[in-house]
Amino acid sequence: MEEKVLNLLREIDEDILTFEGENLFEAGILDSFLVIDLVAELEETFDMEIDAKYVLEENFKTKEAVIDLMKKIIGNIE
Amino acid sequence: MSIYEKVIVIGHGKIAGEVIEHVYKSQKKYNYSMVYIAHEKTSFKSAVGICGRLHVPYYTIEDEKELTCYFSHAASRCLVISAGNHYLFPEIVTENPNVTIINFHNALLPEFPGRNAPSWAIFENEKETGITWHYVMRQVDAGDIIIQKKCRITPDIRAYELTEKLMRLAYEGFSEKFDEIIENRAMVKRQILPVKRRIYKSTDIPGMCRFNLDDSPEYIYRLLRAVDYGKYNIFPQVTTQHQRKEIRINRYRKVLSDAIEEKAGRLYLPLDEKYLLRLSWSEAG
Repeated sequence: MEEKVLNLLREIDEDILTFEGENLFEAGILDSFLVIDLVAELEETFDMEIDAKYVLEENFKTKEAVIDLMKKIIGNIE
Repeated sequence: MSIYEKVIVIGHGKIAGEVIEHVYKSQKKYNYSMVYIAHEKTSFKSAVGICGRLHVPYYTIEDEKELTCYFSHAASRCLVISAGNHYLFPEIVTENPNVTIINFHNALLPEFPGRNAPSWAIFENEKETGITWHYVMRQVDAGDIIIQKKCRITPDIRAYELTEKLMRLAYEGFSEKFDEIIENRAMVKRQILPVKRRIYKSTDIPGMCRFNLDDSPEYIYRLLRAVDYGKYNIFPQVTTQHQRKEIRINRYRKVLSDAIEEKAGRLYLPLDEKYLLRLSWSEAG
């Protein structure tokens, strides 16, 4: 699962994977539009719906946050 | 030389952030003070983050009455830049001689005034749209035009993608014209308003977010794209009836004709010889 998420992040922007700061949005690497793309690709890849309540800055501000989010959502489904 | 002592930016999203940066960079040249007003609650606070990084003062004013009070009591000459902003400036503000307001609208005015213009442009099958920066007057989206920039509406574009494209155009236009605006020498064009002018409200919904399965797949695809802002609930989820059940469309995708997967909760509609429209659905209610 982690590898699939990282591959998707790489497709959105390679800089996401090398970013070591605290917030991809403040660094100008991610924005709300790219999050829409990312969520759509996560849903397509994992064939699942991601509830809108999860689409918050805190869940996408680093690659680790995105991975943790997916672990949480997939864990809840299972 | 700037005729304004203060520049106030109000709005949210990428365009507000880019405007803040541009206004900040021009501050030394024109010697105005600047401030950002965060008015709307958003999930992503990039504009506030940019203010923090640049040490630009900002206020959060969510209450509309407070906001009106703030603008209507402006004592020094100020330029208000409305970028990605839904607050409608009432007459008491537009008539304040100390306040000049410019606004970015995501359509080629006088077409599609009001809300959610990119959605309506897609839904109405327009081939072209664009952005307008204009001076704000009492009438909504009716003020003199400062600059317009056009772009194509491509056949597969979704509302959020078009919105992003328009925001990039908006910043292009803004950066071209800012110096002229701040020096009060921007040439403008008066809008010729149609006699019966429809102003799109936030409660207007393309196709009522509903289709029938015997509608053309092209129409269904266009409707889905027109209301697609991802998880940001600008519009309700699109629904239809299938096998006598009310269903909602969770996801849709244009796929190659040989990519059919037999799965529960999936429908395929032919778009053309090469592509299908794949709908992922679940029962509504």
